[in-house]
Amino acid sequence: MNALYLYSGWVRAWHWLNALLFLVLILSGASMHFAGAGWLLNFEIARPIHNVAGILVTIGWIGFVIGNLVTDNGRHYRVRLRGFFQRLFSQMRYYGYGIFQNEPHPFHPSAEMKLNTLQQLSYLGVMYLLMPVLILSGWAFLFSIYLPETLFGLGSVWVVAMTHLTVAYFLALFVLVHLYIITTGETLTSNLRAMITGWHREPDLETQPRSETQG
Amino acid sequence: MTNLALSGALLLTLIAVATPAASGSPATENKSCLRCHAMATLAYRDPGTGDIVDLAVNPHALSHSVHGEIDCIDCHEGDFGRYPHPADAANETLSCVGCHEKDDTKDDTKDDTKDNIARFKSIDAEYAESVHATSDSAEAEGFSCHSCHDPHGFRASQVGEEIAAIVRDDNQVCLSCHEKVRDPLSDPHAWLPNREKHWNAVRCLDCHTPLSDNGKTVSHQVLKAEDSNRDCVNCHSRESSLLNRLYQYRSEEDLATKGWLNKAVFNDAYVVGMSRNATLDLLGLIVTGLTLLVLAAHGFGRYKAYQRTKGKPE
Repeated sequence: MNALYLYSGWVRAWHWLNALLFLVLILSGASMHFAGAGWLLNFEIARPIHNVAGILVTIGWIGFVIGNLVTDNGRHYRVRLRGFFQRLFSQMRYYGYGIFQNEPHPFHPSAEMKLNTLQQLSYLGVMYLLMPVLILSGWAFLFSIYLPETLFGLGSVWVVAMTHLTVAYFLALFVLVHLYIITTGETLTSNLRAMITGWHREPDLETQPRSETQG
Repeated sequence: MTNLALSGALLLTLIAVATPAASGSPATENKSCLRCHAMATLAYRDPGTGDIVDLAVNPHALSHSVHGEIDCIDCHEGDFGRYPHPADAANETLSCVGCHEKDDTKDDTKDDTKDNIARFKSIDAEYAESVHATSDSAEAEGFSCHSCHDPHGFRASQVGEEIAAIVRDDNQVCLSCHEKVRDPLSDPHAWLPNREKHWNAVRCLDCHTPLSDNGKTVSHQVLKAEDSNRDCVNCHSRESSLLNRLYQYRSEEDLATKGWLNKAVFNDAYVVGMSRNATLDLLGLIVTGLTLLVLAAHGFGRYKAYQRTKGKPE
């Protein structure tokens, strides 16, 4: 089998909607956070945009979690312990060393396992740890009057603001790395195309320069 | 002697109007008083000083004020039951302290604002420190509670009222004397960025009093201009209690007037810089910059590797 249908319609729709919202949120969020710097959106405009995008991202996240519960996409997020560290290290070794030696990809996606271990860990961390904290802190900003006056001895609003800011920086980092990793497929665009069409193509179907490195 | 003639004419009119009340039993109800005192033009010229003494009470403002539910005679204890009022009734001492004094039988540490009666003890202490009490300026002479608080109209703002209206009404009290504050030619607020926005959104008192704890009323220690808050950071970042107070109040007000969805979308309470933190920003930007460098270097390494395969014969 040379072509695998890995990304179902709903996953792709969710992914691209989420990607768009991330960009909007980063731009409008930076505009509010660094209000006054010239190249940003006007504060008054950025505020409702950020809030609407935040509400949509919340709905999207809930949809993603439900989707993973009711379809078999969820299995890709179940960590398999057998050979876990070996898989993790081979993936890290590939990105840190092998990729410069034109070594073949250590991981080949399958319908049962479409995410490599490093990918799986980062997506788990982002979708099930950082995103809930980001979403909750975002809503806490809006409905802060329902919070106690202080959290951990500090003003609640400030605690919420700092949590939101820290997680936002982490997620902006994730986006940067994610955008770069897209280009590390068999060709620069093969991962991108997979998320557009849903089909992951193995190298021998592609005409691409590194085919001779495939074992 | 026109003054006297005028006063005389006014009094005669009053007598004509007030006769029915005067003839009956002593007036104990507000409406008996308001029969005359609700007239907007009720006043006389003090023969000693020549000043117009305003005797009018706006009945609508009174009934909506903090004192709306108490009777005139609860405070005005003089012999006002009869008309014409006896001459010595004007020398009455108002019995404000009857309500507004700290009750010694109660716990001393009790919150001033509990049971919604401002207790004058702490207010007195704060006021004694304020510029209104300490200033040597001739304009500050004779300054009293009533210079700012009209006992017949004063009311505390309620959640649900428009912030802009609260701010406007509140600041109007200050501006009624401090007229030159907004004179563009001698504006002491020229340093303030987005001056107009600040004036529409925050009260004079928010910067011109020392910070009070959350939930407590604003201090009566009005500060001198040079002692007032000029530090943007006190409102616009960190865990300042002023930020907390304004943000939470505005949030509550947004929710009450606009509903939760509008609140979620517009969040008018959000203040520029609330999320600002120099350390986190520096750290975040450094880590982001380093990541970009590493990614660029990684990409460059891959490009080099790719070039090697191209140069290598198949």
